[in-house]
Amino acid sequence: MARSKKTIPHYYLSTTLDLRAALTWMEAQNAGRPITERLVPAALLLKASALAAKDTPEVNGFFTEGSFRPSAAVHLGVAVALRHGGLVAPALHDADSLPLEVLMRQLRDLVSRARGGRLQRAEMADPTLTITNLGDLGVDSVFGVIYPPQVALVGFGRLREEPWALNGLIGVRPAITATLSADHRVSDGLRGSRYLARIDELLQKPEEL
Amino acid sequence: MTEQEARAAVYTAIHQVAPDVDTDDLAEDARLRQDLELDSLDFLRLVEIIAETTGVDVPERDYAEIVTVTGLIAYVGVHG
Repeated sequence: MARSKKTIPHYYLSTTLDLRAALTWMEAQNAGRPITERLVPAALLLKASALAAKDTPEVNGFFTEGSFRPSAAVHLGVAVALRHGGLVAPALHDADSLPLEVLMRQLRDLVSRARGGRLQRAEMADPTLTITNLGDLGVDSVFGVIYPPQVALVGFGRLREEPWALNGLIGVRPAITATLSADHRVSDGLRGSRYLARIDELLQKPEEL
Repeated sequence: MTEQEARAAVYTAIHQVAPDVDTDDLAEDARLRQDLELDSLDFLRLVEIIAETTGVDVPERDYAEIVTVTGLIAYVGVHG
């Protein structure tokens, strides 16, 4: 962590996402599924983050020996808090191309193995972009520290209800704050904001995830 | 199902999902997510184990009724 902050010039962006479309779609899907196949919001957030990374290569890859190498594959590091303390961020390989059901199954498997101390070496070594999802811990946003040699980290805070103004009307929407910590040697605020905006767009059409 | 049976099933399930939670000394008004620190995947696993052991399938629309340990015991008792 100290090495990360010493060597990577971090910059931070934050935006609040309207999750009404995503959650309404997910609830309808889950109503017809057995428990073992139900989705959780994290699966949708991960898939959208992976697809958006495909469109913004500056957040996905490694900075080594003074230059950035974008990665063709999107291996999402999923930050998992261990119940006895500590944090690991193993990779969900090719997350952008996994159908949601498969991503969900692999996520459950990955988190369960991470907590059981049964991760494989490759899973620890090769994430190209890390996602931290503080989900239920009660804070609105998280600005994380990038894992070198990666060049970005996406954070999702608590899912909450927010008053939301749209087309001159105010309603209540489920919302979540998405943040991006990124390496200023590789991307800038404009590219970074496009990345977050793309996640937002993708989540408005959950059926296409 | 009696309340006692429901309580036993819930405690066993909590122990499987979160072995670090001391079920002998569990405050029943504890909230599953915030106080026992179950994340969304732990919660799903808990619901899954409850379904396997008691046959009670909690649909997602009823999640609001099982926010606390007491809530879950009552739910399993009524539907089991």
